[in-house]
Amino acid sequence: MSSQLRFLVVDDLSTMRRIIRNLLKEIGFTEADEAEDGVVALQKLRNSTFDFVVSDINMPNMNGFELLGEIKKDAKLKHLPVLMVTAEARKEDIVLAAQQGAAGYIVKPFTKATLEDKLALILKKAGLQS
Amino acid sequence: MNTALALDALDASNPAIHLKIGVLTRQLHDSLQQLGFTEKLQGSAQELPDVKSRLSYISRLTGEAAEKVLTRVDQAKAEHEQINAQTRHVCTLLANDPAGMLANGHLTHYLDDMAKSSQLVDQHLTDIMMAQDFHDLTGQVIKKVVSLAATIEVQLVELLIQTAPVGATIKSDPEPKAPSELNLVGPVIDKENAQGAVTNQSEVDDLLASLGF
Repeated sequence: MSSQLRFLVVDDLSTMRRIIRNLLKEIGFTEADEAEDGVVALQKLRNSTFDFVVSDINMPNMNGFELLGEIKKDAKLKHLPVLMVTAEARKEDIVLAAQQGAAGYIVKPFTKATLEDKLALILKKAGLQS
Repeated sequence: MNTALALDALDASNPAIHLKIGVLTRQLHDSLQQLGFTEKLQGSAQELPDVKSRLSYISRLTGEAAEKVLTRVDQAKAEHEQINAQTRHVCTLLANDPAGMLANGHLTHYLDDMAKSSQLVDQHLTDIMMAQDFHDLTGQVIKKVVSLAATIEVQLVELLIQTAPVGATIKSDPEPKAPSELNLVGPVIDKENAQGAVTNQSEVDDLLASLGF
């Protein structure tokens, strides 16, 4: 996969942001920015252009569910695919994320192959890649 | 804890001391019942075995990550050594018989090997990077443990204030801050007893597929 799509990686832990950005780069997505919580993410999403959001759930200030809700409420952002990458493994959280409009859900720890597969599937569904 | 206690010294020679202890014991019992502290403290006590398994989880995860990194470093170093040895060998061949190198296909063979080796080294580096995700998972579990410790602290301070003997002067923070309540539970620390939770990515995919997502 190789593309100029722009990603926003949202996670409160810098290590995870770095890991996900590196993986995206390895997969072929070199354009990425990052945010440490939902509040910062929302600001960046409203002030710049992104094609895809990869977000953690358990974060301070605004968690991943709240961020997802805000994105889906916003007419300019609601088209954005949001992939949740999280340690939250409760079935109710997974169902809630899907009901709120998440494009995918990955539980940590995960592999590069899992991320690559999910991205391919979501991008195909969204018509962003063949 | 910023709590300073300045208790009136008890007069041990007071003949009513026994009665006073009895009264205090009764007050403590009643206070605990009225304030619901017994239940709260029981709740905290019940969480202690969970803390133990959470700490074991942290220990296991950090251990596994360290092992994984060291193994991958060993493998990458071995691969690198091989690249180094092959390169030196090819350099010697090139110096001695450059035409033969090409004619015998040695150079092509060497370049193929280099491509494969660098791919393997790259894979090892990715695995080393991925092993660092333990930081995220253990961090969430540590937060839970710290939160429980803070809850116990707050409960004990409240208990201390409520059960202080008559005449005791207690200075404490005006409002002890309760730890922030998180509804999220973080990673599954015991896969065998993970009720209502998934334990791997295929279970996530199956669940979403069963719901039509």
